[in-house]
This record gives sequence, C-alpha cells and structure tokens, in this order.
Amino acid sequence: MKKEINVANQPWLGFSRIIQITVDGIRYRLFRASVTVAVIAVAVAFLMNILSESLIKRSVARDTRDRIHEMRLILDWSSRLTTPGNPESVLREVARSTPGGPIYQEVAGMAGLDEATMTAFHQKCSQGNSYLDFFANLDYAKRRNLIHTATGIGIFRRLQTPNGMEQFTKSLADIHSIRFTTSLDDLNTFLTDWGKLQVQLQAVVAARAKAVAQIRQQLAGKPITDALADATGSFGDTVRQAGFVFDGETVAPLVASQAQAELDVKRLQESMDSNACKQLIAQRANVLPADVNVIMMWKYLGNAKFATRYLERMKQENEKAIAYEQKMKNAPPKAEGETKATIDDTEQGTRLNVAGLVPERLVELAEARDMQASLLRAERLTVGAGLGFMGLGERLAWLLFVSLLVCGIGIANAMLMTVTERFTEIATLKCLGALDGFIMLMFVLESSFLGVVGGVIGAILGALIGLSRMLAAFGLNFAGAIPATDIVVAVFASVAMGMLLAGIAAVLPSFKAARLAPMEAMRIE
Amino acid sequence: MAENTAPQTTDGEGRVIIRTVGLKKSYIMKDVVTEALRGVNMEIFTGEFISVMGPSGSGKSTFFNMIGALDSPTTGRVFIDEVDVAQLTAEELAYLRCHKIGYIFQSYNLIKYMTALENVTTPMAFGGVQPDQARERGMDLLDLVGLKERWHHRPIEMSGGQQQRVAIARSLANNPSVLLCDEPTANLDLHTGQDILNILRKLNKEKGVTIICATHDHRMMDICDRLMWIRDGQIDRIARRDEVHVEVGGIGGMDE
Repeated sequence: MKKEINVANQPWLGFSRIIQITVDGIRYRLFRASVTVAVIAVAVAFLMNILSESLIKRSVARDTRDRIHEMRLILDWSSRLTTPGNPESVLREVARSTPGGPIYQEVAGMAGLDEATMTAFHQKCSQGNSYLDFFANLDYAKRRNLIHTATGIGIFRRLQTPNGMEQFTKSLADIHSIRFTTSLDDLNTFLTDWGKLQVQLQAVVAARAKAVAQIRQQLAGKPITDALADATGSFGDTVRQAGFVFDGETVAPLVASQAQAELDVKRLQESMDSNACKQLIAQRANVLPADVNVIMMWKYLGNAKFATRYLERMKQENEKAIAYEQKMKNAPPKAEGETKATIDDTEQGTRLNVAGLVPERLVELAEARDMQASLLRAERLTVGAGLGFMGLGERLAWLLFVSLLVCGIGIANAMLMTVTERFTEIATLKCLGALDGFIMLMFVLESSFLGVVGGVIGAILGALIGLSRMLAAFGLNFAGAIPATDIVVAVFASVAMGMLLAGIAAVLPSFKAARLAPMEAMRIE
Repeated sequence: MAENTAPQTTDGEGRVIIRTVGLKKSYIMKDVVTEALRGVNMEIFTGEFISVMGPSGSGKSTFFNMIGALDSPTTGRVFIDEVDVAQLTAEELAYLRCHKIGYIFQSYNLIKYMTALENVTTPMAFGGVQPDQARERGMDLLDLVGLKERWHHRPIEMSGGQQQRVAIARSLANNPSVLLCDEPTANLDLHTGQDILNILRKLNKEKGVTIICATHDHRMMDICDRLMWIRDGQIDRIARRDEVHVEVGGIGGMDE
C-alpha cells in the first residue's frame, strides 16, 4: 500500500474543543487551580475593597459637604449680619461668588457699583484670590524665600515695595519647581491697580459696616439668633432693607428653622441646671445625677416615650419654681435670729422655658443632633477623599499598584509552575499535531478562567467588606449616599482586572513552552 | 560507513520514504560539546519494518527524534517523502506530525486528564475530523487494540500494557504512513510486550504502515525486515533479518 505525503497547513482546532480540553485540564488539577484562584481572589478583593471604600468615601464626602454647608447656614448668616469683615475676607468672598449670585449682587448693591465696574471688580478679586491661594499652598521655606513673612493681603503690600519685588522675582527664577499662576506682567498690572482695588474693597467694607449697624440698631441688644428665628417675618424685611440679598423663598425659611432649632436646643440644655431633670436621666442611664451630661440627655430624648416623660418633668420643675417664687414673695420678712428654714429648699425648682415645646419636637431635635454628629464625624473621616490618582489618594494608589504587582508575579509563578510540570503533555500534544497557537491559547485561557473565577469571588468579597466597613464607619444615615452603579461598575472592572492580570501573567510562560520543539520540551522535564 | 548494505525491501515497491543525509546533532552544555550523531546517511522504504538497535547513549533516540521531525539537526538533512523537514513552517510541521507520522513512546505519554477515547480522538480533532466521525473511528481503533470496552477509562485506571495499546491506537488516529516507536516494549512484561509486538506486526503486514522501532528487545528481530545498529552516533551496521539469522550463531555476534 502506498501513501502520499502532501504537506499542508494544519487547520485550527474548534474553539469549543479548546475550551473543553482546557476545562478538563483544570478539573484534573483542581487543587493547584484552586490555589491560583485563591491568590487572584485575594488580590482582586484587595483592589475591590479599596475601590469600593474610596468610591463610597468620595460620595459621602460630597454629600456631607453639601449637608454641612446647609447646616451652617445659620452660622454664616449670623456672622454676616453682625460683622462687616475686612478687605481680605471681602476679596475672597467676591472671588468665590458666581456672577449674578447673591453675594455678587449684594456687594454690587451695597457699594453702589454699576455692572461694568462690578465685573471688573469681580475679575480683579478672582485674580488676587488666585495669587493668595498660590502663596497659601507653598511650603514654608519657599514662601519665606519669595515673600518673607508677609501673609494675606500683606503680600501685595510687600510686593509693591521695590525690595520685596526684587526678592520675589529673583527667588522665583531660582526655584525651578515653582510655577507661578500667571505671568509676571499680569502680576505687575495687578499690583499697580492694587491701590485702586483696595479702595474699592474698603468701600465695600464700609458699606457693609453701615448695613450691619442698621441691623444692630434693629436688634437693640437682642441676640441675633432670636431675631433670625423670625427671618421669614419682619426681621427678614429689615435684613433686606439693610441691603443684604436674603431670599425670602429659599434661604429665609431654612435660616429661620435653624435659628428656632438652636433656640430650642439651648432651652433644653438649660434643663441640665435642674437636679430633678438630671435624676430622670440618671435613673435610666444608671449613673449618679451629678454625672449626667448633655450627651446623655440627647440620647435619652431620642425615645418618644422618654421625651414625653422628660417634658413632663420640665413642666413640673417650672411650675415648682414659679410657685416657690410666689411663696418667697409672700413670705413674711425675715425676723431677727430666724433662719429661712420655713421654706424648704428642695421645693425651689428651676425656671425653665417650656413654652411651645412638645415631645415630638424633642425627639426631632435629638435626631437632628444625632445627624449633625454623624455629619461631623463623616467630614472628619473623609478628609482628603477624592484626591490623587483615581480619587484613591496617593498612598492607596501606590499600595494598590504594589499589591497588583505582587499578585501578578504570584500568578506568573503559578502559571510557570503549571507550564513546567506539563512539558511532557505539551510535547505530546505537539507530536499529535497541536499548533503553537493552540498550546498558548490553552494556557492563557486556563489562566483567564482562573482569573475570572478568582475575580468574581474576590470582587464580591471585597465589595461586601468595603460596604460593611463604610456603613459601620458612617452609620446608616449615609446609606443613601452609597453609589450603587459606581460599585457595580467597579465590580466588573476588578473582575476584568483579575482576568487580564492572570491572562497576561500566563502569556510569557506559555509562549516559551509553545515555541519549544517537542523533544526539547521532553528533555527539559 | 553508511549505505554498506544494499537497500532491500519486502514489498516490491521500494520507494524511499525517509532519507537522511549527513545527519549530525550536537548538544552544547556549558562549552562542552556532546556529539550525539556524527553523520548518518540512511534510507527507509515504504512498508518496511525496521529495528534500530544500539546501546544506550549511542544516539538512537536522537536519530529517532530527527526522522520524526521532533527535533532539528545541527547539520544535515532529513527528507520525509522527499520533502526537506527543515523547510517546513510550524503549521506544516504540525500537519506532518498529525497526519503522516504516528508516535509511540516508551512512557506511553497519554494525556492524563483524557479518557482513552478522548486520547485517541484528540489527534483527529487537531486534523479537523468531525467529532462524530472521530468518535466512531476512535472506537474502531480501540477495538483494533482490544480495548473497546474500556474507552471511558482514564490512563491512571489502566495497566501499562493497556496504556501502550491506547497509545498505539492514538498513533494510528489519522492513518499515518510512518509509525515511530521508541522502545515500545521496554516498560512492559514479556507477555504484554509480545502482544504489542503482534499488533505492530499486524499493522505492518495488513495496513502497510512503515514501522521504525528503536528497541532493546531481541524478539523484535524475529518480526522486523531490517536491523540497524547505531554506535557512537554513527551507523554501525545495517542488515536484513535473514542475513542476521544466517550469520548469527549466538546473539553476541550482533554487537561485535
């Protein structure tokens, strides 16, 4: 029998068959595969954990900033209505305001600036603010080199002197790591106009001082918070008349309610002067009445039943105090040698202002206080969130990079071992007519499979850990601020990352193996 | 040194299927050059059953790998059916190994995670045979080696002899023209070895497959057409079986 040898190109194996062979291979070496999966899972879990935590942190930070800003509206307004500020604070305020915004309009209105002047003024202020920011962000040594010890608008004053300017330009040329925000010409123009700008700023301050004086006259010695509780009513009109831009629709109700809350809080905290009230809390918290503090009180008031009881006690105390005062007034004048013993001291009571307080209000205030506390805690915890590479912060990004590197090398090592111990199999497959590409694909696929499995396990694990850790840190108040879609995207990204990492780690060993002549491969083993 | 024996073939055709010209192979390990083959000229004809004998380290296996296109020579050429192996691309080499040459190894080299049938059908899959057809032919081949009922067994569930028989079935998967056996009976007991030899003989006689067999097994001499001795990387002697039988009074004469 005669057989022809016609050499042709070997056809490619069907993809499903490759996958079948690969999966069979993995199943045969399940233990080794599971170790590789564990390595990948740990790395991806780390990645996912960091990603989810920083995503949540960033979102919470944004949320917190907005809510705290709103929360501080009352503080903002009480300081604005009582102090005119100084040129520097006005400069910063104007620079931060948006054209057409409330502050912008307010300044223009108070100082009587027309539109063109105001636009120029705003621009100048922005420029000055950018310079101030630039100097504020420099480290001490550089700042000292550039402007000596000048701070704030004193910097401009210093730069106006020939000496100061000379030192500044010289140092700027010497220190190469500094990039000034604008050209020196712009700075010079700004400095020549600085005198004019300063006059304008002074004018604004003066106008403000006038408005503040008007308000103060209206207050007639009353605390500003009391007046602001009426922000929706006549006091709001007064404020507007004085020249402040105080929106009666959006801002005033908020300010009024916050002022009211502050007043109520103050009234409740005054109840701490009363021993009887303290006693109520002490019973509940199982401490001595003398150890009861405001924090305990707020905790106690969070419960509606206790709040009712507490309010009851406050009213009793108040009545007692009124009755006592009455008694004191009616008591006969003290006789010679007689002590005041006729009236029992325990009957004294404490004057408490309970007008208009209901238990629901107490609970509401306690909850609001709770919220404020968690907001402040969240603000503290999210300092610096969203900075650096991908919002991870520089340190974390570096840590992540190193961990991925370590994991990549770990996987590469695992794959190298797998490939090495399978040299005979590779050689046999090549003898049976396997193409180099098939061998490579087999190993890369195997590694990618392991990468996907490890990635899914790791991503879910990491996301769960990150989620629970963040919830534990910020409390359930922020459950709404968790960016669900971002986290889902991050899960997919980390699974892809795990797959990619594993796939890439397998390329080199498998390439090496596939290129060997069959017998060389067998010899190595 | 080579070609001192006139080529003789059993089936009248006498076409050369494998030819080597000045085959040399040296391994370099840390500046020490080991010459495994030092110029081998050899012709192998279609339908022949040829045994390659020689002490270990003689270059037998190296010669084997060269003519099986499993390794590349340092110098010299290998022609398989007058095609220079060195000229082939990787794809063509894969095709050659898949369709034209069957390999049987001393250590069976079955794929551990595949069943007997899968082991047999894998080369067919590489060769582009449809799965159904491949399964059918795989079963036929397993029947040929007497392992039809054990098609679903993994290599670890089979004895050495059975594994070697699966390996033979696998080597025949794509109807190869040449069967290269590297000491197929070395790891087997006498009886099982005899079974394997019988199967090889049958294949050679009935299907006309050219069989090249490296061996230490002296029973091989009874069934082969030609014998070739290699010593120190060179052909020591080539003889037809009948010549050996005439010549040999004792087996010691073979090794001279």
